[in-house]
Amino acid sequence: MDKFIVSTSPHVKAKRNTTRSIMFEVLIALLPLVAVATVFYGYHVIINVAVCCLSCFGFELLYEKLLKRKEFSFKKASVHNLSCFVTAVILALNLPTTMKIWGLNVVSGSTVIISFDIIIACILGSLFAIVIVKQLFGGIGKNFINPALGARVFLFLCFGAAFASVASMFDATTSATWLSVKNEVTGGMLLSMLLGTTGSAAVGETCVIALAVSYVYLSVRKIIDWKLPLVIVASGFVFAILFDGVVNGLEGVSLINNALAHVLSGGLIFGAVFMATDYATSPNTNAGRIIFGIGIGLITMLIRCFASYPEGMSFAILIMNIVTPLIDKYVYPKPFGSQKKAKEDK
Amino acid sequence: MKYTFKKGVHPDSAKGASSAKSIERMPAPEKVSISLAQHIGKPAVPAVQVGDTVKAGQLIACADGFVSANIYSSVSGTVVSISEMRATPVGKCEHIVIANDGAYETVTLPALDNPTKEEIIERVKLAGIVGMGGAGFPTHVKLMPKDKVDTLIINAAECEPYITCDHRIMLEYTEQFVEGARLLMKALALDKVYIGVETNKPDAIDALKAYVLDKNITDVVVVPLKPKYPQGAEKQLIYAVTKRKVPVGGLPSAVGCVVDNVHTALSTYQAVVEGKPLYERIMTVTGDGIKEPKNLLVSSGTLYDNVLQYCGGFNSENVAKLISGGPMMGISVMNGECATTKTTSCLLVLTPSGANLTDPTECINCSKCASVCPMNLMPMFIDSALANADIDTTVKYGVMSCIECGCCAFICPASRPLVQTMKLAKKKIKERK
Repeated sequence: MDKFIVSTSPHVKAKRNTTRSIMFEVLIALLPLVAVATVFYGYHVIINVAVCCLSCFGFELLYEKLLKRKEFSFKKASVHNLSCFVTAVILALNLPTTMKIWGLNVVSGSTVIISFDIIIACILGSLFAIVIVKQLFGGIGKNFINPALGARVFLFLCFGAAFASVASMFDATTSATWLSVKNEVTGGMLLSMLLGTTGSAAVGETCVIALAVSYVYLSVRKIIDWKLPLVIVASGFVFAILFDGVVNGLEGVSLINNALAHVLSGGLIFGAVFMATDYATSPNTNAGRIIFGIGIGLITMLIRCFASYPEGMSFAILIMNIVTPLIDKYVYPKPFGSQKKAKEDK
Repeated sequence: MKYTFKKGVHPDSAKGASSAKSIERMPAPEKVSISLAQHIGKPAVPAVQVGDTVKAGQLIACADGFVSANIYSSVSGTVVSISEMRATPVGKCEHIVIANDGAYETVTLPALDNPTKEEIIERVKLAGIVGMGGAGFPTHVKLMPKDKVDTLIINAAECEPYITCDHRIMLEYTEQFVEGARLLMKALALDKVYIGVETNKPDAIDALKAYVLDKNITDVVVVPLKPKYPQGAEKQLIYAVTKRKVPVGGLPSAVGCVVDNVHTALSTYQAVVEGKPLYERIMTVTGDGIKEPKNLLVSSGTLYDNVLQYCGGFNSENVAKLISGGPMMGISVMNGECATTKTTSCLLVLTPSGANLTDPTECINCSKCASVCPMNLMPMFIDSALANADIDTTVKYGVMSCIECGCCAFICPASRPLVQTMKLAKKKIKERK
């Protein structure tokens, strides 16, 4: 009479702690950003989020259905872990509201009512993120770069000109972002960067206050390592001072203002909170994460200060994503009680 | 101030069901089956034959070699068979089955008055005393360390969820326990013994401190420990109390420490002062699937089924797991036809919701396992390396240091069976050599 389940210990598990619950928490953290973006940029944000969600969900399901064939069952499909929606929302927040690529937009006067161009871009981006970056490499946890970021860079390289800037409710004339002009920074500009009432290349990057709320939420719920975004922001700040001060010869208040503007504008904080902290593509040790974070800050500032692209955060994260396996190979802790440490204690 | 170690997890302690229940003596069943292999080391050799009449407290199997312990009968009656039976943790082994005559005729060893160091060790060996926390390592071996030892720690952390037997011992057998700890201290020729208790048992800490103060004892130090799992793991406990790190692959004696369990101290007292060898123990019966959770004094060799019956049986049709030991490191058994031994500290009955059964999914590389591993290992890499049969990588990430505490699998959001991975990897490494 064998009536009980026999398994290896432990026989209890932490409650309310599953892949699905983690992804759900990330979605909650993304809510304020979606809300702020909708208020700032209008209903196009909602359309983009919805299109990305539907296509990411669809592509992941379809991919599994095609590959698993008879073994496929919807009940056990990987879409239930919600990670495709996280990718979708992050991707949507990484795009402008509308785009002008093929001219498939319904226009009334100077306002775009529905932009089919960006809807197609959203679908293409989702396809790239889910199928090429994530599923082809083995699905969740095996992606070699952050899927949403991969898709953003894919779209950026394909349709770069359409990524110019987004029209904000505060700024109907589509002003250029600070990173592409780099004019003298004033206190008022810093304030509007903090609030998000300035030009921005993607709808999610705008409001630093909303990003801070998300960061605090994710850290308190222990979804992300709270140290990593801080390391990235701090190293971005330090390298901005170093490059603009030593190489470009800025001094005093304008140097500090410039470095602050670097941190507050573009995708640095959004990337630091939502994309660099992606589990699969960031190192698994504290020391490794510090190297990873400093690397992102360094590469971002190198691109911003010396290269021809105004924004370098996406490339910086992608490069460090690819370096991650190497970091994990060499940076790992010694087991408790390893001889060298024991000697130090004496 | 609370002493602790680094990392670890905070499982729901779930001790409330039985922590307030006084220890109750469970009458011996009609038949006891006493295992001959109750711990690591060699099984004992039977000293009785089928048909022999024995008394409670009579030697029925002798230690075979140094790392082995004597076994005593827990009832008076007749030996009906010596046969193979399933047992934890060794799989299958010989059991001496004794039919209880109900007379409870008892024999004892001569009590020792003010014994010397050698007399205590000799008595501990004779009485078959082992580490009663789980592994069951013969205590006399620990009392004769090869290295110089300067610290004795009594492990009263009881960090495993659900279990309350050590807690009850400290409350109800305060004197015997503290004096037993002091006997162990004397056997090691030390002048101090540390008792590490988690602060979620404030009444136990108070009882120990009150006793020590009342009797004017100066050589017992009660160390409050932070409630955290695995606070009672040997290496973590030593670090918490002394800040010393047991070297990889080394024994506690390498850093001058000996760690003994609460019940071991109590049994030492009973063996030395009362002349009673180890043939019964205090255990907890609990879990969300048992009708009446209890702390019981159980005769060695009582079947799990008898114990469960005594506690009113299951309160639900739907029992998922029966576990010998705690939920984090205990061994799940397929049915109740298994006998209690010197090391059975708990019988845990879990329903599917209590056991939180979920199927494993893909690793998402969240590194939570690494962030809780008290031994600083990288469980996710060991898991993926083993899946690729890459044994060298599992060694690189420290699998041989794994203490199988279960923190990684407890915290894993993908419910991966990481402890199973570690055990399998260790087995493969041993096979390779």
